[in-house]
Parts: sequence; C-alpha cells; structure tokens
Amino acid sequence: MRVNLVLELLDVPGQLLDVLRPMGRLGANIVAVIHQRDVKTDEGKVPVQITIEGDEETLNRVIDVLEENGIQIMEVDGVLRREKITTILVGNIVDQDLKDTVNLLNQLPGVRVADLDLKMSDPPERSASKIVMEAREGLKQEVFKKVNEIGDLKGFLVINEI
Amino acid sequence: MRFNLVILMKIVILGFGAVGQGVTRVISLKREYLLDKYGLQLDIVAAVDRSGAALSENGLEPETLLETKAETGKLSQYPEYGVEGVSGLELLDEVEYDCLVEVTPTNIEDGEPALSHMQKAMEKGKDVVTSNKGPLALSFTKLAETAQKTGTNFKYEASVGGAMPIINLAHDTLAGSDVESVYGILNGTTNYILSRMAKEGSSYEQTLNEARELGIAETDPSQDVDGWDAACKIVILANSVLNRECALEDVKVEGISKITPEAMALAKKEGYLIKLIGEASQDVLEVSPRLVKEGSPFAVEGTLNVATLKTDLAEDVTVVGKGAGSIETASAILSDLLNIWNSG
Repeated sequence: MRVNLVLELLDVPGQLLDVLRPMGRLGANIVAVIHQRDVKTDEGKVPVQITIEGDEETLNRVIDVLEENGIQIMEVDGVLRREKITTILVGNIVDQDLKDTVNLLNQLPGVRVADLDLKMSDPPERSASKIVMEAREGLKQEVFKKVNEIGDLKGFLVINEI
Repeated sequence: MRFNLVILMKIVILGFGAVGQGVTRVISLKREYLLDKYGLQLDIVAAVDRSGAALSENGLEPETLLETKAETGKLSQYPEYGVEGVSGLELLDEVEYDCLVEVTPTNIEDGEPALSHMQKAMEKGKDVVTSNKGPLALSFTKLAETAQKTGTNFKYEASVGGAMPIINLAHDTLAGSDVESVYGILNGTTNYILSRMAKEGSSYEQTLNEARELGIAETDPSQDVDGWDAACKIVILANSVLNRECALEDVKVEGISKITPEAMALAKKEGYLIKLIGEASQDVLEVSPRLVKEGSPFAVEGTLNVATLKTDLAEDVTVVGKGAGSIETASAILSDLLNIWNSG
C-alpha cells in the first residue's frame, strides 16, 4: 500500500535526510518526494510531500518514528494530523500577560499559537482574549490543563472548549 | 386491556410547591390511563406543606388538594382531613403508605429536612422518589446505603434535568454499556441568560435583571448563576451513573457572572457559544463556562437542558429536555413511581 505524507521541516541543512533515512532503514519504499524550498509556511517552515510504499505495519512504524523524532506531520493521506484548539480568557489582560501566555503555550511540545484576538473593555477587568492554537492530535486535554494553570496564576476566567 | 385486579400504591407527598402540585395534577390527569395500562391506582394518603397536612388513609382528592392550596395557600385547610402544624417527620410515623414522594424545597447547606424524611422512610421499609438535589448532592452514599440495607427503592430521576431522562436512561436503557463520562447543560436559568447574551450582545447584569423580571431567575439567583445548582446535579450523576463516590465539596465550580459581552463576541467570531457545562468522569468533577460549537446539540436556547453520556459500546448518547417546570418535573417522578411498581 501507499501513503502520502505532508510534513513541515525547518529550513536547515540535513532535515530532509533525517526524514528519508529512517524510511529506508525501516524498509519503506520511497515513491516520490516533492520539496520546494521557495515555498514557506507562515512559520517559515518548508512543506514537503512524500509518498512511500510498503506493508501497513512498516508504514505505521515509519510515521511513529518520524513523530518520535519530532518531525511535524501535517497530513496523512489528506487527513489532517493537527487540530485547532480555541480558548477564551476574561479579565484584566495586558500586553505582558498575552506575551507570557503565548510563550507558555508555545513551550508545550507539538503546540503552536496560531491566532490571537483581544477585545479591551472599560472597565479593563472585562477584557477578553481569544487564543487559537494548532496542536498535534491528542494534546487537547494537556493544552487545556496548561491554560487553566495560566488562568489560575493570573486570575483570569478561562473558557475552554467542551 | 382492562385489569381485573387493581393494585393500590399509597403515597405521601412531602412538600407542596411547584413540584408537589405538579405530581398531584399528573396523578389526577393520568388516573384512567394508569388504571387501563397498568392496573395501578395511585392514592395520595397524605400531603404536607408548611401549614400542616391533609391526610386520609382512603386517599385524598387530587383536585381538592390543588384547589385548597390555590385558594388558601394551606393544605391544613383541606375540608375535613386538614390538620394544622404537623411536621413531615411526625407524619411519616403515623400514616400507612408505600412510597414517599419527597419534594420539599432543596437545601444545599445540610440537606434538611429532606434528608431525615428520606432516611426515615427507607428505614421503615418504604420506597422513596425525590426531585430534591440538596440531600443527594451532600449525602448520596449514605442514602444509597440505606436503600440497599433496607431493600427499598430509592429513585431520583427528577433531581437532574427535570423531565430530561438521564439517570434511568443510563441505568436501564443503556444497561451493559459502561458510561465513561457525562457532561451537559444542567441549569435552565443560566442557559437562558447566556443564550440572551449571545443573541443580544447584552451585559450579564442587564440580562440577569431581565430574567428576574420574567420569573426565570429567582430573586436570589446565586445558586444558579454561581454554578451550585449544576454542581449538585453533576454530583448526583457522578455517584449514580459513574459509581464515583463524591459530594458537593469535591466539585470545582465556576459560575457565569464573569462572562462579558466581549468574551461572547470573540467566541461567536470563531463559531462558538459560551455555555455553563457540568462535567463528570473518573478524574474530572467540574462546573464551568465552556465553548460549544454553534449548530451542535449543545447550542440549545432558552431554559432547555442537554446532556451527553459517553459510553464504551453505544459511544455518545445525547438527550435534550425541559430542565424545570411543575408538570415536566412531575413526569419524571411519575416514571420513577411506575418503575417501582413494575419492579415490585
């Protein structure tokens, strides 16, 4: 069977090799690699499309090993491997809080803050901010836990997804 | 089919507010239906309010009970069978009955007097049906143990979500499936307020005042808006559906008073609504405002309740229904009475 992967790699030497080497070692057959260094994502990463062939077990093993090695797999056969997570904070939010919060969230492995929206109010205690994150699948609960911690620390009301 | 043998179930109603009156009305409305379908006659042998009681071992007239209450406000004024100043607890010693319907005003401080009423009834071998959240949220384990020890039926479908079937749904209809977690909108007042805020862009205070004027929110709405009412229900669900021993003090509770129009607007922009959600699983026990997708089953408006049971076999099962109301809540009490009758 064949599987199409879309990866996002850092634009530094050796990255592609780090992806291809375990594939060969595990016995998957590389059918195609589409790699255009000129195309970049918003984060400055290079999207790479790779088609590999092998039995199901081998292909699953390849995907596991890539993820273990910290390679960001965006899609497997057109199915997104990343999910969007939304949270809203209410309280007296100032610039510094937002910066801290974004930094703390970005420190979680596999999580990236993708969008921010802030509505200031008068009085300031009623201000609200919306944070949209992209995270590897299965990290939702961990992310919400972190957001709750931040909320407790800074005295914000946290409104997470259900 | 007409049953040749009519079986009598004698019930005592403690508490004659909206729910107690609803039960009485439903018994009156369904008299023929119950005889035809089940061969069952529900006799109210005593009803108690603050003024005293009406009692007759041959059964009181439901319509007369309702009229007496409507006209005088006092059951003790019931013609011939009215008694002043008798307490529920005393009455339970004196009357012959099969099942107690405990619907006194709920108390989330110490659960009384309902807790003592229910304990006493079960200790005397009587079945108990209740809509009373307070004692269940504070002393669920104790009550369940008493029921087990005395071999009596203890039913409380009406205590969570009013008419919305959830407890018996999990116990009976979904028997065999393991419920892993349950979450839902379990308070109608807050759902009304949040729905209006989402629609009108109005502030929390303004919307709460509107809800008060409409009689949807109580004069002291703190139990609802601070999340304690929903917390009681989540404790009942955790104990009864998840077999998790816990009490009100174990719930992490956050109400809706800090929700602002700004937060509502940001949620909307992303396709979400803000709802007060209660959630229970083996490691979560929480009431808090959460984001739900617009267009999802949780995007219910007005005073509706909704809940999802996450199960191993049936996956997600979601129910929606009226969370309050006199007749609606009484429907859940009637179903409990019929379940008891069917099991006996």
